Amino acid sequence: MDEFQEILQDFLVESFELIEQLDQDLVELENTPEDLELLNGIFRVAHTVKGASSFLNFDVLTHLTHHMEDVLNKARHGELLITPDVMDVILESIDLMKQLLFTIRDTSADAGVDVVACVVKLDKISGGDGEVETPVAQEVAPVQEETVQVEEIVSDDEPDYDNMGADELEAEIERLLQERQSEDKVKREAKIAAGESVPSLDPTPETEPTPEPAPAPAPEQVATTPVATVPTPAPVKRAATVEQTIRVDVKRLDHLMNLIGELVLAKNRLIKINDDVEERYEGEEFLEELNQVVSIVSLVTTDLQIAVMKTRMLPIGKVFNKFPRMIRDLTRELDKKIELEIFGEDTELDKSIVEEVGDPLVHIIRNSCDHGIEIPAVRTEQGKPETGTITLKAYNEGNQIVIQIDDDGKGLDANMLKDKCLEKSLITEKEAENMGDKEAFGLIFKPGFSTAEAVTNVSGRGVGMDVVKTNIEKVNGIIDIDSEFGSGTSIKLKIPLTLAIIQALLVGVQEEHYAIPLASVLETVRISKDEIYTVEGRSVMRLREEVLSLVHIGDIFEVERILDSSEHAYVVVLGLGTSKLGLIVDTLVGQEEIVIKSLGEYLKGIKGIAGGTIRGDGGVTLIVDVVALMDIARNVKTTVMTDSSSNAAVAKEKSKSSDYVVMIVDDSKMDRTIMRKALEPLGVTLVEASDGQEALKILKQGDTHFDAMLVDIEMPRMDGYTLANEIKKYNRYKNLPLIAVTSRTGKSDRMRGVESGMVEYITKPYSSDYLSSVVQRNMNFKSEFL
Amino acid sequence: MSDKLKQIINKQNEKQEESLIRTEDVVQLVGFVIGEEEYAIPILAIQEIIKPFPWTRVPQVPKYVVGVFNMRGAVIPLIDLRLKFGLSPLNQSDETRFIVMRHGDDIAGFIIDRLTMAIRIKKTDIGPPPDTLAGDDTMIDGVGKQEDRIITILKVNKLLERDF
Repeated sequence: MDEFQEILQDFLVESFELIEQLDQDLVELENTPEDLELLNGIFRVAHTVKGASSFLNFDVLTHLTHHMEDVLNKARHGELLITPDVMDVILESIDLMKQLLFTIRDTSADAGVDVVACVVKLDKISGGDGEVETPVAQEVAPVQEETVQVEEIVSDDEPDYDNMGADELEAEIERLLQERQSEDKVKREAKIAAGESVPSLDPTPETEPTPEPAPAPAPEQVATTPVATVPTPAPVKRAATVEQTIRVDVKRLDHLMNLIGELVLAKNRLIKINDDVEERYEGEEFLEELNQVVSIVSLVTTDLQIAVMKTRMLPIGKVFNKFPRMIRDLTRELDKKIELEIFGEDTELDKSIVEEVGDPLVHIIRNSCDHGIEIPAVRTEQGKPETGTITLKAYNEGNQIVIQIDDDGKGLDANMLKDKCLEKSLITEKEAENMGDKEAFGLIFKPGFSTAEAVTNVSGRGVGMDVVKTNIEKVNGIIDIDSEFGSGTSIKLKIPLTLAIIQALLVGVQEEHYAIPLASVLETVRISKDEIYTVEGRSVMRLREEVLSLVHIGDIFEVERILDSSEHAYVVVLGLGTSKLGLIVDTLVGQEEIVIKSLGEYLKGIKGIAGGTIRGDGGVTLIVDVVALMDIARNVKTTVMTDSSSNAAVAKEKSKSSDYVVMIVDDSKMDRTIMRKALEPLGVTLVEASDGQEALKILKQGDTHFDAMLVDIEMPRMDGYTLANEIKKYNRYKNLPLIAVTSRTGKSDRMRGVESGMVEYITKPYSSDYLSSVVQRNMNFKSEFL
Repeated sequence: MSDKLKQIINKQNEKQEESLIRTEDVVQLVGFVIGEEEYAIPILAIQEIIKPFPWTRVPQVPKYVVGVFNMRGAVIPLIDLRLKFGLSPLNQSDETRFIVMRHGDDIAGFIIDRLTMAIRIKKTDIGPPPDTLAGDDTMIDGVGKQEDRIITILKVNKLLERDF
């Protein structure tokens, strides 16, 4: 019954829309009765409503519209002039039609409206003035037969047709027919003579009253309406209420979505500000109020976002519906027996994504039919049922939709796939050797690959599966393929729900942040540097039983390595289509909801960047384009392990003593002066800083290259140990000799100094000669400058 | 009576035309300095002038495209005109400004060393770019002469054109 209700919904929505148009058109027609275009339009409306209502067994309505159609058809052929009198009747019939539709909406049946009087009038017009009887009769005959019963029902006892068996119904019709026949025999006879033929004009050939015609015509009905309807789930209620729907231009929805995007960004910002305020004014009373407001705003924003996203959702059934027919055709073409089972066609997806998944599914299903399912003879031989089954399933999984295509065919043979690829030199021998089964299955998505021996009508050109991969990657989807040789293949397409607002993993590299769409992130792992191996100049790591190739995000985005990365690294395992890649990052920042913004015309098409997003702090974070990134990664010679070699070049050849630069860090002016006095005779350039933070700031500017640094331990703001630790984080200054100059003489102090990376430890007081010699030694001062 | 009215109307019309001519004759520009030179762009091409704030670096672009920044929710590219004009980079000072220019749908921010002033200049005082710099590719729209100085007027559409 649900299917019927759904069709009924569509019918009602469509009919009300058509009638609205009809009213306007008819009024216009009265002014310009010769306008053929207009007449044709009106005729089509009546015809459409008639066709649909007869299909739905609304016989009173069919009866009425049929007669309207007759009149209009005559007018269309110039056999009837639309006079105001005629128009009165037509308008009356339209009012009746509306009334009928309302009745249908409320009760799911079209009983209770008396149309006889109007029909008679209509008949008079078409019959009385008509010059040629026959063409009209041709159309009238069969429908009239059907309508007979209805008139009876209206006036009679209204038998419950829903609870009637097929046979009973048949009998009832027979009975009513006979009644009617005897009633106005003469009139009917003339018409029957002309036509047993079914009206050829009928747009829905599926209107034969088969018991379950629902699934096939449903899309037909939708297809006749060019604008996308907002889908509404079929109500379970018995009475069909018209869903209050408005057709909205998709552009408007997009605009709305953009606005929501802005709101989400503002919300993120608000939350961040709230956090800051909370920290600063801890315990203040107004905080609670602020907190409440912020949480309400964020809650409403989230709801709003979901609501708007829902307006863009379409059931995946729209795509699935075309497959039964496709399978039917394919089975005949291929001489196989295949059954298609569809589950979860109500699962909803963003409109733009629904449009993208259609083609891939066609290719996958064709592939399953052609290569997967064996011919019946082979199947019986292998003890499988003669009829192969392809299952098409859609379901939600977290933030994703999974579309699963299973077949019980012959499955994929990993070795055969590898051989084929080697043959076509799509892969190298070595690659084939290192390939696991799963990776081998992924080979079917390579462009130019085909397992079919011969190119058939259906497949074998090696294009199809490549299309699958490209399209799915376009919507940030993941393809998971699993197969057991001999017993079947299962392909899973994991697709994000929407494209505009996405969940992203924020990662840090040096001082930069990047956002990676979470849909493409399979997992994150923390590894130590010695878990990274190098194979053929590429970094790889073992991830459980798999070998994962690695690339540093800094290599892809040309990030300057100022800070030295620590012993540990984080690997973000990216999955896209069937390929995987480990992306090494310095830090994992967290997960955030982000809105994709384009970088504009000027910066469009930068490889590896999908766009930007605005963060809570107002800054811009770039969004990684995982598809392109994987592409770039193939050509990047990774420098994961060799990052210390580059900084040697920074030190220039010294030609005079003032080329040497030494920084003195001490909070006491006097101490700085003493050191300055001790070093001045060398002629080296001296830079002073009064504490650790200042020193670090100077280093960060990177204007000068320092050859040595004298560091006091006890300083305000940042002490010497911390400073040394910070400095060592910078790649560039890893080899900068740090000389501690301090009055602390304890052994533990010395130990701490060594731990933090100090090369020398000078205790106060010291002789200026000693200081000078230590500095000279540590910066390889060339004695000829003296 | 009606003759008088006509006369008045005619006079008014003349006046309007005059003022129209006058405004058409004058170009309003905003002047700024990059390195040693003073440049100017039409005031109508400027969306806004803002003090510098943080931006995000973008990979795989020429050096002079320093990155993107957030201007009230829009992500806008930022171009350093010093680098674009082949000058050495300079640390930002208090006078550094971002000029956000728009031409049609194209929009970008430009880092300049400092602003000078809004300039009203007669069209007749604007000469064509020197022959050596003329041509389709030049960024120079014309050279304005005013009292004792020379101002290079830049083509906004050329500045906003992607050339990489």
